Amino acid sequence: MTANAPAQYSGRRSTVAALRLSLLGFMADPQWLIPSMIAPVIFGLVSFELFQGSGPYFLIYAILGAGMMSMWGQTLYGSGWATGQDREFGTLEPTIQAPSPYVYVVLGRVLWNVVSGLLGGLIVLGVVIAAAGYPPAIPNPVGFAVLFVFVMLTLAAVGVVFAAFYVYTRYAGFIQNIGEFAFYVGTGCMFPVVLLPFWTNPIALIFPPTWALDALRYLAIPGYQGFSWGFGWDLLGAVGTTAVYLAIAGTVFHRVERHVLEVGNLSDY
Amino acid sequence: MAGVTVPRISFWRTFWSNAVFAPRTSLGFMRVDFVLGTIFVIPLTQMVFFAFVVKLAMTGSVAYTALGNAVATVTYSSVFSVCQTTDSEKQQGTMEHLLVSPANRFALYIGRGLLPILISLATVSVGLVYAALLFGVPIAASAIPSLAVSVVLTAFAMVGFGLLLGGVALYLRTSIILGNIFLFVGLLLSGVNFPTSALPAPLRYAGDALPLTWGLAAIRASVANGPISSVGLLWVAVGLSAAISFGAAIGLWKVFERRALTTGSIARF
Repeated sequence: MTANAPAQYSGRRSTVAALRLSLLGFMADPQWLIPSMIAPVIFGLVSFELFQGSGPYFLIYAILGAGMMSMWGQTLYGSGWATGQDREFGTLEPTIQAPSPYVYVVLGRVLWNVVSGLLGGLIVLGVVIAAAGYPPAIPNPVGFAVLFVFVMLTLAAVGVVFAAFYVYTRYAGFIQNIGEFAFYVGTGCMFPVVLLPFWTNPIALIFPPTWALDALRYLAIPGYQGFSWGFGWDLLGAVGTTAVYLAIAGTVFHRVERHVLEVGNLSDY
Repeated sequence: MAGVTVPRISFWRTFWSNAVFAPRTSLGFMRVDFVLGTIFVIPLTQMVFFAFVVKLAMTGSVAYTALGNAVATVTYSSVFSVCQTTDSEKQQGTMEHLLVSPANRFALYIGRGLLPILISLATVSVGLVYAALLFGVPIAASAIPSLAVSVVLTAFAMVGFGLLLGGVALYLRTSIILGNIFLFVGLLLSGVNFPTSALPAPLRYAGDALPLTWGLAAIRASVANGPISSVGLLWVAVGLSAAISFGAAIGLWKVFERRALTTGSIARF
């Protein structure tokens, strides 16, 4: 093998290694699941209190909203913040200059965050049901569970795009903290987006979770009034926007990687 | 004189140097953009979020919720940020130096709390402006002097509470969990979104232990242009909770300082 031979890598191996490392990190210090669950549990309980007396299906709003917040915490924060952590630990440069594209490493982390997000969402769901004292009446539980997981994947798609941009910026934490409520409002995690002023709807529809959550409510809440196009188009929109996000993430990661290797300013922190 | 001579450092010098240096050291994470986001963005998005939840539920008052959240956002700068200073000290390796310093602790903590108090005042003030202009909360001009007193007392009490939590965090591995709990728990227990009378008795008592509950009650009474006798009583309650928080914070820090000096391990991160 000559010195100039192209470096060999296995994307699958990189992803599995990143997934394994994320899992080990979690096992070493599982308390980090708690911070991202405190706000959703409290918001779920507050919403449950506010929705009391509003009708039998409002418990689903509280559960969905709180579950979505928990998933946001685990999936989006986790995925986005992974790059920030690399930067803090000083592992960003070695990871990026490794032959394996960075996107495979991020993918492994995102996969773990999806799993832990699901775990967090289930815990939040349990707390809100315990507070209510009865489980929500869901007409199609299997479809609900499948779509619930899909909502998480749409969040993960947003997380991957964020992670790509966070390579460039040291403001990851700032954007996530300050933008947290804006994201909750914009994606309608606790109420239908159609309640917001009409001019905000096109902005909300840029985000895949907006479509997926609307579809989930159509499935779970009889008589739900969301976007006028209904469940089918919501689902299609969610799949379409998620695919676009993943394509953007792939392109951005490729360009970001090339750019930071060219300019060599990654360590300017 | 035999033995070690402990240098005397003036109270005001300690106060002022901490007020000036804290934003660059232990509060270094509070950059200008972060502070502006905390003052202008978070109150607006949090108020919009809960206003739409109430609108969907059709059971509560948007004005009540908006006013509650306008005040509740004070926890970001007063509780969460102040609580995190302990982590900052540990991470930066300055905790040991602080613990062996002969500086007057009261001056030190008040000095460090100066910037959070100012940011808290600004956050609540901006939140109240949003509440009046965007959510129809009626604030009469005649209510402003009483409101100003309530806001200032609340900001002091909340920063005192943040320092108290920072003291507890000294004993913990990280303050993040504690900070997250008290960042949001007021939304449930302090009458932010619904009256505390709707809570079960144990939760109501827990809410009474939070300065935010009394501060918010004082601010609501001021906005309602209540008689000075009733507002005054609430001021006493807020002042008392501030005094207890600052006193307990200093007491707690003394206890943990002693333990730190004895065991030599408490300041580790």
